[in-house]
Amino acid sequence: MQLWLIPLLPLAGFAVNGLLGRRLSKTAINAVAAGSVLLSFLWVLKTLSALGVFGGGTPLEQAYTEHYYTWIQSGMLNIGVDFAIDRLTAVMLMIVTGVGFLIHVYAIGYMAHEGGYYRFFAYLNLFMFFMLVLVLGANFLLLFVGWEGVGLCSYLLIGFYFTEKFATDAGNKAFIVNRIGDFGFALAVFLIAVHFGSLDFATVFGKVQGMPVESSAGWMTAIALLLFVGATGKSAQIPLYVWLPDAMAGPTPVSALIHAATMVTAGVYMVTRSSAIFLHAHNALEVVAIIGLATAFFAATMGLAQTDIKKVYAYSTVSQLGYMFLGLGTGAFSAGIFHVMTHAFFKALLFLGAGSVIHAMSGEQDLRKMGGLRKYTPITFWTLLCASVAIAGVPPFSGYHSKDAILASAYEYAPWMYWVGVFTAGMTAFYVFRAFFLAFFGEPRWQAAAHDAHGHDAHGHGHGEPHESPPSMWIPLAVLAVLSLAGGYINIPKWLEPMFKVPEEGPGIPWTALVSVAAGLLGIALAAWFYLISPAIPEGLARSFSTPYRWIYNKYFVDEFYDSVVVEPMIDGSRSLLWRVVDASGIDAIVNGTGKTARNLGGILKRMQSGSIRSYAAWVVLGSIMVIIAITMGGGR
Amino acid sequence: MPANLFPTGIEYYRILPEIILTLAGVAVMFMEAVFTNDDQRKIFGPFSIVALLAALVASLSASGEPGAAFSNMLIIDGFASFFRALVIAVGVIAILSSTEYLRREKSAGGEYYALILFSIVGQCVMVTANELIMIFIGLEISSIASYVLAGYLRDDPRNNESALKYFLLGSFATAFLLYGVAWIYGLTGTTNLDHIRSALQTSTPPLALAGAAAALMFVGFAFKISAAPFHIWAPDVYQGAPVPVSGYLSVGPKAAAFAILIRVFMTAFGPIATRWEPIVWSCALASMVVGNFAAIQQSNIKRMLAYSSIAHAGYILVALTANSSTGSAAAMFYLAAYAFTNLGAFAVVTYFSRKGEKYVSIDDFAGLSQRQPAMAAMLTIFLLSLIGVPLTAGFFGKFYIFKAVLDANEVWITVLGLLNSAVAAYYYLRILVVMYFKDPTDAVENLDAPGIGLKIAVYASALGTLILGIFPGWVLDIATRAALK
Amino acid sequence: MTILDAVLFLPLIGFLLLLMIPKSNPNLSRIAALVISLLIFVISLGLAGSFSGALPEGFAFVHDSEWVSSPPIRYHVGIDGLSLWLVILTTLLTPISVLASWKHIDHRVKEFFAFLILLEFGLIGVFVSLDLFLFYVFWEIGLVPMYFLIGIWGHERRIYAAVKFFLYTFAGSVLMLAAIIYLYDRAGTFDYAQIQSMLQSGRLALSSQAEMLLFLAFFIAFAIKVPLFPLHTWLPDAHVEAPTAGSIMLASVMLKMGTYGLVRFCLPLFPNAAHKSAHWIIGLAVIGILYGALVALVQPNMKKLVAYSSVSHLGFVVLGVFSFTQQGLDGAVYQMLNHGISTGALFLLVGYLYERRHSLEISAYGGVATPAPNLAIVFLIATLASIGLPMLNNFVGEYLVLQGASYTSFSATVFAAVGVILSACYMLWLYQRTFYGKASESLSHHMPDLSGREWAAILPLLLLMVWMGSYTQTFMPAISAQNARILDLSKERVAQTPPSQRAVREVANAR
Repeated sequence: MQLWLIPLLPLAGFAVNGLLGRRLSKTAINAVAAGSVLLSFLWVLKTLSALGVFGGGTPLEQAYTEHYYTWIQSGMLNIGVDFAIDRLTAVMLMIVTGVGFLIHVYAIGYMAHEGGYYRFFAYLNLFMFFMLVLVLGANFLLLFVGWEGVGLCSYLLIGFYFTEKFATDAGNKAFIVNRIGDFGFALAVFLIAVHFGSLDFATVFGKVQGMPVESSAGWMTAIALLLFVGATGKSAQIPLYVWLPDAMAGPTPVSALIHAATMVTAGVYMVTRSSAIFLHAHNALEVVAIIGLATAFFAATMGLAQTDIKKVYAYSTVSQLGYMFLGLGTGAFSAGIFHVMTHAFFKALLFLGAGSVIHAMSGEQDLRKMGGLRKYTPITFWTLLCASVAIAGVPPFSGYHSKDAILASAYEYAPWMYWVGVFTAGMTAFYVFRAFFLAFFGEPRWQAAAHDAHGHDAHGHGHGEPHESPPSMWIPLAVLAVLSLAGGYINIPKWLEPMFKVPEEGPGIPWTALVSVAAGLLGIALAAWFYLISPAIPEGLARSFSTPYRWIYNKYFVDEFYDSVVVEPMIDGSRSLLWRVVDASGIDAIVNGTGKTARNLGGILKRMQSGSIRSYAAWVVLGSIMVIIAITMGGGR
Repeated sequence: MPANLFPTGIEYYRILPEIILTLAGVAVMFMEAVFTNDDQRKIFGPFSIVALLAALVASLSASGEPGAAFSNMLIIDGFASFFRALVIAVGVIAILSSTEYLRREKSAGGEYYALILFSIVGQCVMVTANELIMIFIGLEISSIASYVLAGYLRDDPRNNESALKYFLLGSFATAFLLYGVAWIYGLTGTTNLDHIRSALQTSTPPLALAGAAAALMFVGFAFKISAAPFHIWAPDVYQGAPVPVSGYLSVGPKAAAFAILIRVFMTAFGPIATRWEPIVWSCALASMVVGNFAAIQQSNIKRMLAYSSIAHAGYILVALTANSSTGSAAAMFYLAAYAFTNLGAFAVVTYFSRKGEKYVSIDDFAGLSQRQPAMAAMLTIFLLSLIGVPLTAGFFGKFYIFKAVLDANEVWITVLGLLNSAVAAYYYLRILVVMYFKDPTDAVENLDAPGIGLKIAVYASALGTLILGIFPGWVLDIATRAALK
Repeated sequence: MTILDAVLFLPLIGFLLLLMIPKSNPNLSRIAALVISLLIFVISLGLAGSFSGALPEGFAFVHDSEWVSSPPIRYHVGIDGLSLWLVILTTLLTPISVLASWKHIDHRVKEFFAFLILLEFGLIGVFVSLDLFLFYVFWEIGLVPMYFLIGIWGHERRIYAAVKFFLYTFAGSVLMLAAIIYLYDRAGTFDYAQIQSMLQSGRLALSSQAEMLLFLAFFIAFAIKVPLFPLHTWLPDAHVEAPTAGSIMLASVMLKMGTYGLVRFCLPLFPNAAHKSAHWIIGLAVIGILYGALVALVQPNMKKLVAYSSVSHLGFVVLGVFSFTQQGLDGAVYQMLNHGISTGALFLLVGYLYERRHSLEISAYGGVATPAPNLAIVFLIATLASIGLPMLNNFVGEYLVLQGASYTSFSATVFAAVGVILSACYMLWLYQRTFYGKASESLSHHMPDLSGREWAAILPLLLLMVWMGSYTQTFMPAISAQNARILDLSKERVAQTPPSQRAVREVANAR
């Protein structure tokens, strides 16, 4: 089946652009970059059809695995470079390569005027490679390879504008915070190897099946929780979500591809992949649900007050990821993956749309400086509308289906979770449409200060007034728009049925769905009221609830908290205690001290050398007396 | 034992080296009186070297005919031959490194060579002596010559002070030795080492008194080998004496003194070993500590080498504490290794110090490696050997000694000694530092290449140091075969 | 006369040749050094041949002949899976160091390269000696040239650093000498294999106290070289002051002498003592990992930063060794090589930066990526390798070490894994402060991109990073097989120790 071709094509693209890019023409670079991804997308299609996915029957009941070579062999531990494909992987492959290709195409237009063009696409291809390794890998270590690899690419692409300090800072933050998550993941891997003697999914999960479900906390729970720590890093959950909003410093296509559609959902994929372990550790599963819900809720509140359009969508991403984990935590794995897919569609669209807006505004990202763009960028307007209704959960669009599935299972698990989820859904609808209205309706606020293109996204080729984007950009938008509207009818839960059984729904639409839809519509209505009808209200609220508003506006000061509690103490401690005290005045002082004592002792001995013969003679006498006494008194025969 | 008044030919053959050297010495004195112009006086050096080489050959061939001589007053066994060869070889190198110095100091007198020859005669008598009186005579011949050598440059006050101190303290210590000899004679009625031994074995005499006698003699020897606490004279004397003389004193007389120390204590006083071993043990430790730690602070290289020689005396005493044949073999090897190394080091200093010993401060050596790389490299070899870095003689010397004492289960003296050698590394490194890491000063700028004699001396010693360091086997075999049982 | 003899003695010959080259012609000595070292490298590759496919039992390329008759010191050399790659690492890094010093060394050129090649002689000797005495000899020989390399061609405080380096190591090694002599006394031979089998079979039985003392004597000598916290303080000074080539050889090869010694001698010869001490040694290793990383975090000086990172990385090696598991040991040995490659590369690149800007202060840089993109990329790859990114070499080593440790003590694994996080912090911050940001005028002018020579020096290391990271089967089988043997020899010899002492050990362990 040659699964290896799927990731290797983008890798080849990376190699070509990375090594020769500087000498290639832009068209050549485009061809290589987008072409390689298209090819791997087509290869995915071919592979799947060859596996009979598009035909009838029940394909891929069993995972299809290919072994290439032994990567690490030490003692009993054997880790191979194996790729496997099952129904879950199939979904992820389609999302990654499909959406990935669209975003590559979009980027061709978006980055047209940027420096480091070849570098950008090289990184993007490299990302595709690692992401595909992540979903194809047939053992935990290979998954980890992709896991760290995508982290690297996100680091490189966030810091793409490396002359800007905030960008490189954001890059470092992303990498290091992810490292903290990976720390948990790695420990989980060690424990898995210790307890199962292997890292292959097949072996491990096979053994798990035979084991009893762990009621209280045990090593299974430990493994599950550690895996989830990894997930919180990669998928930006509390407490490790802080890197994602900053990650918006990267070019917008990056935000769309990596920080919305694909990489951030890796955590969801990984937990789903390890569902066997989680299902044997209910406490862990509960933790997943609670963290997911909390993240969904708090991120949504933070989204309410953001003024940077990309930041709004960033917090929305965090929130939606929270939803997915809520789904997983409540046992609806397939619903979680379902939401991964729909979210990939509409969130990618939101970001690309935002990018198109920013493009139109010559780099402006501040919603307060936009408005009335409806006439100037009609396509962007309509496509963003599709995305917004999709995420707001308006039936029958994609968001509605997946979110409903999650909320339903949340209700099954614990009603209070459901209600929090519903409230969050309302907020989601509100802030998404807030951004939408602020950007496209009302009086244009950009005459005043449009063209001081200081935007974070150092993306300015300021000329004239806002303008619609080139086809290379709006065609992907259109495609994604269709997907976000209709994507809900790709019945992922059914497709994943053989892996995760779905609670069969009763006839008709359950009331839980109606309530959540109502919440969504209410949110939209509020947004319309606040930002279309009477714009005075938001300021009024902000003033009257100044304290909570300030907290929300400053994201609950979490970054500041981490800095003052973790980062600074560590730095200061290392500098002033470990380095200066322990090393310099501790160990080294002892070392040099011995040297000094030796010299001092030498000084004393030197003083024996008075130079006067009389004292010397005295020494001889003294010495000889000692010797004589010693020998004569000394024992022996 | 019937005293044979008329020695047989073989006996003369056995002491041929002494005879040759005595005659040579006398001859030089005559020539000194006869020759007037400098060209003729140039002959002294080569002549004495020839004489020494002849003596060397003689002693080597004599070692093929081991046995007693002059009614058991002398004994030419392997041990004696080994040391006799050693001290004669030392003499050769010493003279090679002196000639240039003497010319430089405008005092190339014949008496210098005569004195060296005579002192070597004395040392030969010492190492071959099998009898306390002979030991004493040899010691005196060698010492008196040394006293004069130390003050050879009459007009130099430093020389005078050095000579005076050496003489007074030396004779003071010799008095102890003589008193010990007398006491032993009183106790055992003999001065022959073997007889003393048997007398002590049949414990008729009160052992405490025998021990006291041993102690008195030990003081005398310890002074000659400059072992703490009888070392105090060494720094002043070495610093004051002419550089080549200091070098000579630090190895030749020392080797001989060690030879008799080992012989007397392992043969005569073997029976009461348990009494003196602790003393040797503590003197060894004291010497190592005093030598090494005091050396750290020295700024004058001669003085520093003096202290280092004290420390090395300590190492050799460690070997004696083992009181075994391996121990004495190790000591013999070490003395040979040390002889080459130290002579070489002093030869380089001789070369470097220049007229009036202007440059004997360690800092003067700054940047030597850039002006005279060869000489710097040689000195490096000698210093590494003194530190005890592998592939140099010094390393194997230490190795054999500590191996010997470990055989005798003396773990602590081993560890202490090795740690001492780590301390020693510090002050030897300082010279490497200035030679290689510092930039040249005027001290080395006006430095011209060494004369032929010095060159030979330095390279010969370096060669010896390396050969003993890379193929120690053959010397050790000789030593092991010659070692006292 | 085997290939191994050639590989061992060619450096010595090369050293003598270089001494003969006239001072006046520095280029000649440069070229000569390069040619000689490359020749040695090529020949050394022949060693790997016999380790592909069917692995030899025990040692290959053995040459055993007498050196000194009494005591019986033998010229006994040979290599196995443990030493093979370390030898090749040495022969590879020497030509790279020569290239690194091509321009960097402009005074007393001839002596420099002479010492560099002499150093190679000592290092190879350490890895191939199968006679304890021979091992000690080479151990000391390596000391001298490095002392001169630091002292003559180093930076401002070079003398302090050089003397500190020499005394630190010398003090440690005299204890080892004492232990070696003692072993000889008991066994009557210096031969590694014979002593080993004697101890194994019990023909030479050490009291548990004697064994512990011997173990410590060896261990301290090795721990200083590694260096293991708290014996590490010579390393930062030595690295900062040493010239580029010195740092490379020091970090990449010399430190491995210590870890190699642990695996070769401490484990198989004194297993009981090793097991008994494992818990506190692992403790020190973990402290070293975190301590080195934390201190590296706050270094204003590039070389110091990398030096402290070495303390951290080598902590992993020690942790792996004393986990007494196949994975841990494999990882440790693999990590020795990895550290040699990636840290060597880092020092090389820092050297490149220094040649351009003449400063090691991180604050003197910033925005280098703009004028010198290739240098930036290369440095990035080295950085990623050293922070253990998958598919690059260090990942495999660190993974195996931690995996191995997790079998014996999971808590140690947890703390050690924190070191992995920290490594990302200090390396990425270094990279950001050096290469990112806007380049100042003066910097851009003095920041040409990589030259051909510089490429030639760094490229092999980069390739190895990827190779060793993504296809370990080239190297691992030989290592793994040998480690399995060593582990087998390092089983606790409870049988030999009388019950009373065993009770004592149990108490000690309980404590």
